[in-house]
Amino acid sequence: MLIGIDVGGTFTDGVLFDDGRILAAVKKPTQTDNLQESLLAVLDELLAAAHGTDINRVVLSTTLVTNLLATGQGEPTALFMVPGYGLPHRAYDLTANIYFLQGAVDFRGRIIEKIDTNQLFVALQDVQHKGIKRIAVACKFSNRNQSLEQQIRDEIMKIDPEMQVTISAEVSGKLNFPRRAATTYFTAMTMPEWKRFANRIEQALEARNLDAEIHILKADGGTMPLAASLSNPCETIFSGPAASTMGATALSRDRLNSVVVDIGGTTTDISLLISGEPLYASKGARIDKHFTHINAFAVRSIALGGDSVIRCRDNSIRVGPMRIGAAACFGGDEPTVTDVFNVYHELKVGDWNRSRELLTTLAESSQMSLQSLCFFVVETVMERLKRSISDMFTEWENEPAYKVWEVVHRRKFQLDRIIGIGAAAHAIVPILAAEIGVPGFVHHYAPVANALGAAVVRPTLALQLHVDTASNLYTVDSGGLTGTLPDPRKFQLTDAKVLAISCLEEVSRARGIDKYTVNASFFMEEQFNMIRGWDRVGKIFEVGIQVAPGFIEEYQGVSE
Amino acid sequence: MKPTGILFFPAFDWAISPTHPEREERLLYTRDQIFEEGIMDMPQIREYQPGLATFKDIARVHFCVPDIESQITEAHLVSAGSALRMADAVVTGEVKNGFAIIRPPGHHSMTVVHGNRGFCNINNEAIMVEYLRHKYGLKRIAIVDTDVHHGDGTQEIFWDDPDVLFISFHQDGRTLYPGSGFMDENGGPMAYGTTINIPLSPRTTDEGILFILDNLVMPLLEEFKPDLVVNSAGQDNHYSDPLANMCFTAQGYARLNQRLKPDIAVLEGGYSVESALPYINMGLIMAMAGIDFSNLKEPDYSPNKFKEPAGNREALQRIVDTQLRVFREREEVIARTRAKSDRPFRMELRNIFYDTDYIHEQQRVEVRLCPTCAGFRTIVSSARHPSGREYTVGCVSIPFRACTHCREEGQAAYQTLQRSNNQLVYLQNKIDDDYRVTDTRTQQEIKL
Repeated sequence: MLIGIDVGGTFTDGVLFDDGRILAAVKKPTQTDNLQESLLAVLDELLAAAHGTDINRVVLSTTLVTNLLATGQGEPTALFMVPGYGLPHRAYDLTANIYFLQGAVDFRGRIIEKIDTNQLFVALQDVQHKGIKRIAVACKFSNRNQSLEQQIRDEIMKIDPEMQVTISAEVSGKLNFPRRAATTYFTAMTMPEWKRFANRIEQALEARNLDAEIHILKADGGTMPLAASLSNPCETIFSGPAASTMGATALSRDRLNSVVVDIGGTTTDISLLISGEPLYASKGARIDKHFTHINAFAVRSIALGGDSVIRCRDNSIRVGPMRIGAAACFGGDEPTVTDVFNVYHELKVGDWNRSRELLTTLAESSQMSLQSLCFFVVETVMERLKRSISDMFTEWENEPAYKVWEVVHRRKFQLDRIIGIGAAAHAIVPILAAEIGVPGFVHHYAPVANALGAAVVRPTLALQLHVDTASNLYTVDSGGLTGTLPDPRKFQLTDAKVLAISCLEEVSRARGIDKYTVNASFFMEEQFNMIRGWDRVGKIFEVGIQVAPGFIEEYQGVSE
Repeated sequence: MKPTGILFFPAFDWAISPTHPEREERLLYTRDQIFEEGIMDMPQIREYQPGLATFKDIARVHFCVPDIESQITEAHLVSAGSALRMADAVVTGEVKNGFAIIRPPGHHSMTVVHGNRGFCNINNEAIMVEYLRHKYGLKRIAIVDTDVHHGDGTQEIFWDDPDVLFISFHQDGRTLYPGSGFMDENGGPMAYGTTINIPLSPRTTDEGILFILDNLVMPLLEEFKPDLVVNSAGQDNHYSDPLANMCFTAQGYARLNQRLKPDIAVLEGGYSVESALPYINMGLIMAMAGIDFSNLKEPDYSPNKFKEPAGNREALQRIVDTQLRVFREREEVIARTRAKSDRPFRMELRNIFYDTDYIHEQQRVEVRLCPTCAGFRTIVSSARHPSGREYTVGCVSIPFRACTHCREEGQAAYQTLQRSNNQLVYLQNKIDDDYRVTDTRTQQEIKL
């Protein structure tokens, strides 16, 4: 049996899943000041429903790190940047505690300027003086040569062995120094709190004698074992939308182009499936206005949900953005978006007379007919959803391309279907789909699709190998692996692919997910001849390999 | 403040040949540098997606022999199309200016295209200029060619066009390909003075080029008052370029663009792929976006690395004086030419060499010396292609702001040519945006 739990902003959802069926679903309000409590309460109910049957795997999706970063409650962290030459230093504004250090590496991984240890010591003293206990270190092009970052860490540890130092090459190896610095900084900042949380969860599960694999859901729609998450807490951000999108994929299981509309109580999240595969945000997850190297789905959130309250102010009808409580038909005190759809389309969900009553009162007080009030709200909701969907298409179509082939073969997004998930999807999505003129799909598991998604997804891992045969060096993102080649002169693309596979296996073993590497596929294969004068002096290879988001083997769809 | 548009199209799957300077690797390190800097994430920058040019866009400038398909690859359509897309974004006001970092390049391509010249098949800037005039009705455009090689293709295309000011500074043609771009190349008789060449002696430094910019290029632009300024942005004046001998630096390039303030910059040559391009491209982007570039430098650069050659300042001052005079006297000179001209046409014979494809082309060009417009042009061109086939083609070009007379006479000339024994006959009617080719043997006409 499998358990998936998604701790969301308003509710915590959990499912117990086995053999194509959801055996139990639990929904409880989230206690924002005690996520662990919310999570365990749901878990205990699911365990009770399992009646002692073995649980193979538990996957948790939590907003802990998202909340920490959003509320600025991470631990004070200093950022040592080695920007070398290029943009002015004032382009970097991640924190007030930035220290710029001398030193420079170029795109081939050559050191063009050394570290000035005296300058480093002065910075360190200042950090110690401020009482800061963690330092994130980021050097431009450390993904090509991490030795300056390592040297900085070594020098710091010599003086202050208590200092926690995180270097960027070990967090991400992708190009984009500001994003790498941000990712490293946020990682260093949230690591201790996340570690405490992970430990408490582990103890709680031990106390329940649960002998199951524990995984954490990531922003890229895959999982990682709890132990592996300790050094990568930031990968857990935005896992809620990832759970929903993967839940939609799990329920649809085909290769169509779909829009996934997850209508929760307060917000609606929209994501795209291109030929059945979730679309990623091209600039990575965004934290506090900063782009990062955290792979996340492209999700557009709008402050409009099934519980968005309908009020009249200054003689005009306002739709949301607040959530006061549940919809009137489910016992709330004020009419909401769900109530309007309930009445206007005669869905007769919940106590639909109460929907009518509250809306009629509101209509009277604003001198409108019930019909025109409902019409206005439905139109407003449709307009906002349609605009967000079309903005997403445009954004996807306008992604840059760097090869002739990509430009010539570019296609326009042809929408096949809208998938609705979330509690209010039944009321709104069929109407939205009809309006856009495509089929709508709302599975009866749609209200718990997020928890289902978490329960059945497999671990993911993406890795990019950069090989430079002229300088006889290879570097790997992520994992910070680096090394030299046995015979660089004879090294070809096929060798690079073999090397990429073995790096993937090594990183997978370290993360405890090596049994999933059989699912790996290449997503990038580039090679460049390096010509100096008229002779070839070497080759550069860029090979990308990944275990893409997908489902564990046990999952073969849901039985109807 | 509006952002700066950047369109980066490195064509990682296109090369002239595996070891050619114009190969996949050319913008690889530039990619590394600008992506690692993360400059595309900054609010001052908006990244654009490449586009595709149409055959009509190309026919507005070129006569491709025997046809467009055989002269270009898809990469050329993307490169030219990307320049057009950047131009759209600038002219419609989405961005304050734009830089198309694209390849393959184009500034050596002339009106008639038999093959590849100087790594170029079709002329990206010229296609962009004609597109802008056609689509948005722009009238006066200035192209400043900052490539180390003379922009002979662009010069030839706008030679008879008084509405396009073409300024090229480059290493002296006596010392570098294509061996042209001398002081006395000033444009056709009815467009005298709107072609300005600035041959520079080898080893000229930032100081010399910025002197030319401040004292010649900027005054010319001020007086010409163009609707749009294009930088045909080659990067091979750099001290490390393997194909030329100048001493320009990344800082120099950034300062040049900061002062020139081009509306659109389009990448041309530059083959120091590792030591120069990553830094120059960063410098250009930063200068155009108004980002402080004082922290930018090449790893091997030091402020006292280069000294301006002795006597260069005096030589440059002479160039400034002469070319300012040429430009300021242009209307007078054109009026004199008109007054004393007793023949309705100017005829010229030309030999054009295609270095990449080793083609020798012969041309006979006739331009009508029209009292009111730039005059229509007739070109008869013959060349043996690498395939061994010999082509003789007749081409008529009716300019953008042609008078009724030139428009009618141009069309008549095309009809006459259709009965000639040139294999292919082309009509390029810019005023009606009408482009045709006739195969004289079958008398079949294709309209683009």
